[in-house]
Amino acid sequence: MVLELKKPRPIWEIIFSTHHTDIGLLYIIASMVALFAGGALAMAIRAELFLPGVQIFEGQADFSRFFTVHGTTLLFLWLIPFAAGAGNYLIPIMVRYKDMAWPKLNAVAFWMIPPCMFLIWGGFSDTTWNAYPPYSILKAPGPAADMWIVGLKLLGLSSVLGAINFTVTILKMKHPDLPLMKMSLFSWATLVTSLMIIVAIPTFAASLVMLYTDRLGVTGFFNPEMGGDPIAYQHLFWFTFHPEVYIFVLPGIGMMYEMIPTFSRKPLFSYYSGVVALIVIAVIGFGSWAHHMFAVGMSFTEKTVFMVGTLAAVPSSAMHVFNFLATMWGGRIKFAAPMLFSVGGILLFFSAGAGGVVNTAMPLDFLTHDSYWVVGHMHLFIMGTITLAFVGFIYYLFPLITGRMYDQRLAKIHFVLTFVGIAVIFGVQHILGLYGMPRRVVDYLPIPELIIMNQIASFGGWAIGASFILFLYNMIKSAMFGKPVDPKDPFELGHGVEYYYDYARREPHH
Amino acid sequence: MGHSTPEWVYIGAVTAILIWVGAESWNIEHTLEYAPPNSETVRVVGQQWFWSFQHADGTQEINELHVKEGIPYRFEIVSSDVVHSFNIPDFAMLMDAVPGRVNTMWNIFDEPGEYLIECREYCGMLHQDMRARLFVEPNTDNTTASQPESEPTISQGTGTATVVAPGGGEVGSTGTGTMRVVEPGNITASNESGASDNTSSTASDSGDNATTGSTNGTSTTSAAGVTLSIPAGAATPGNPAYSPDTLTVTKGEIIAVSNDDTAPHTVTSGASPGDADAGQLFDTSIIMPAGKAEIDTSTIDAGEHPFHCTVHPFMTGTMTVQ
Ligand code: HEM
Ligand SMILES: [Cu+2]
Ligand SMILES: [Cu+2]
Repeated sequence: MVLELKKPRPIWEIIFSTHHTDIGLLYIIASMVALFAGGALAMAIRAELFLPGVQIFEGQADFSRFFTVHGTTLLFLWLIPFAAGAGNYLIPIMVRYKDMAWPKLNAVAFWMIPPCMFLIWGGFSDTTWNAYPPYSILKAPGPAADMWIVGLKLLGLSSVLGAINFTVTILKMKHPDLPLMKMSLFSWATLVTSLMIIVAIPTFAASLVMLYTDRLGVTGFFNPEMGGDPIAYQHLFWFTFHPEVYIFVLPGIGMMYEMIPTFSRKPLFSYYSGVVALIVIAVIGFGSWAHHMFAVGMSFTEKTVFMVGTLAAVPSSAMHVFNFLATMWGGRIKFAAPMLFSVGGILLFFSAGAGGVVNTAMPLDFLTHDSYWVVGHMHLFIMGTITLAFVGFIYYLFPLITGRMYDQRLAKIHFVLTFVGIAVIFGVQHILGLYGMPRRVVDYLPIPELIIMNQIASFGGWAIGASFILFLYNMIKSAMFGKPVDPKDPFELGHGVEYYYDYARREPHH
Repeated sequence: MGHSTPEWVYIGAVTAILIWVGAESWNIEHTLEYAPPNSETVRVVGQQWFWSFQHADGTQEINELHVKEGIPYRFEIVSSDVVHSFNIPDFAMLMDAVPGRVNTMWNIFDEPGEYLIECREYCGMLHQDMRARLFVEPNTDNTTASQPESEPTISQGTGTATVVAPGGGEVGSTGTGTMRVVEPGNITASNESGASDNTSSTASDSGDNATTGSTNGTSTTSAAGVTLSIPAGAATPGNPAYSPDTLTVTKGEIIAVSNDDTAPHTVTSGASPGDADAGQLFDTSIIMPAGKAEIDTSTIDAGEHPFHCTVHPFMTGTMTVQ
């Protein structure tokens, strides 16, 4: 029942293992390293913006490197690997198979990540995470930008390999007694995400190659001086990365589907509406990418099409929110840490979605685009929804992995600090955007309102940082000295509640 | 699925709100999309890291834009290097400046005053300083000037005489560091790309012209002994900025300055744009790509004088006058 750390093993046994729980553990640990590293950069960014003028950085150039690596790290080395880790851990158990379909491929996919970390952190590129040409091909200093390109290329490959493995494991290796429509919603979310990765990522992978040859000067795909078009890159980029935001968020939604019914001690409100919402968004999500490009000079018709495409994707997200709330309605809810994080995540998901609709309304986007509003919007999703769900899931898996309980008091403090910090910093950033503060600047005009709001934002950011140090301490301490738990019911939810999934009855077919 | 009624109601409500948002946006965007035919055209050029503006009558401004209240203006926005985004937050105006493209946007400024222009798209080392000022001047010729925006029929904009006395620009230099107003005439024999053809420029021809910058301005070659050139690539930090970067002249000599780079530059006395005496001793003003300028040293005291480029403050050099 207790899967990992109960019986200590030499570390190389885990490192060279191809077993899905070992790989899952490696993914989770690597992603948490990235979470803390990327978070540290954010602390420095907030320190710089505490006052107008240039303080701790030497200038915009340094600062740009920091926010570029911050964004790249947290999107591609925290969100994606963590989702892969949780999936590795649980998917074979949930579909009742002995391992992933291709264990060695699985290990290969994981081991591509450390070199990417080296490339991204070793290079410290300044292209921003969007790497728009012509800046990225003509002006961005190498070898940093080149290392960034190669690093992202490898990461893309790694997640495509992982996605293929998940898809095959779920569709082909599923226990014959388990129909698709009885499969857990977490498995559904992983399946849908994997299919989206397989469709979306290759486009960006191709444009990275073009970017690279453009940098070498042998091609001019995106170089206007050689007849190329920088806007073509933006289309390719967003064709991958708008769907990618659903690739980020759907695993989090799947995790909430595990946690919320468990801690509400009540069956899910509607399994079907969950499945339908997941599938619908995976399809419609591909028709809205150019809402990131309203200001590049598209025709009125194009803008309208992408506005409609974006709005069409909203109801399915709203369905998840309804499903969660209806599940909690009338339940005997136990607010253990995983539940607290899930509920916080739902609240912020809803507010972030409202901000997204504002971005989508064309005339309003000219207020918000590339201002701090967008920074607030995306972080409300990425921190407020996805990271909250992921961290809640870490608490949720903790007894399963270690056989011990985390410190529940510290976990509650962690939640309160993080939640308040997120609401404050990213709420205020929306307003900063309306005041016209552009994103990605090291310096801003010394106007009293801007200064005050930036300082509030910095305090919010540091609160999050402090709470995550508590989290780290809690994890390390409790993994070693935490109270051993009853593996059948670690959260003391009482009888009649199935703990986690049906893990106890692991009868994998071979 | 017995419990689906409340869910359908909820989904219906969400969808209705979304349809309302979509329809309303379509409506508003539709009116913002097409400039009135009598608009006056202003060409906006974004480059690392400043804005320049060319008015229909050929007047050019750098980092300052003077417009009249109540007249429809149509902006043709281009870039000569990387992607920038031309943004006037107070009027919710935003449009990317993309190399190789001409994007347009229009507005009627209905409130006289001084406003901020900034760059919203990350464009490199001095992105955060890429600011300019917009001056909306009261329209004295037109007594109904303060009409609200909903009256785009004011036929005021047809004449081209409305624009800028460049001298009036000095008021603005309080805000950001590197403002300079340039009259087309005061750059010695430099080429004024686009100044002659932009009265009714069409999308295609103005695009080229902003990206490549033609080279026809080589008429004056002062054969004086001392030359100072700005080598290609100087706009990238780390590359040689001036060649030579320490030069020695005898008082009275004329220094011939040539800009061999693809970006505009200046040779301006002082160690940096923030210096109290920056530009006091000598200043070429903006020298366009392939343009030339001269510095007369007869009025410069003997001694060692640092100089820099106001557009790219990291470009520095020293001149010794004997
Ligand atoms: C599902 C979770 C979501 C995530 C993770 C997410 C993430 C992001 C990110 C990262 C950006 C900024 C990209 C950049 O420029 O660097 C962004 C921008 C945007 N998002 Fe979302 N988003 C989500 C949901 C939504 C929804 C539901 C809507 C619309 C209803 C929406 C509409 C937009 C729009 C229009 C922009 C462009 C804003 C601009 O640059 O002007 N997003 N989002
Ligand atoms: Cu998007
Ligand atoms: Cu710019």
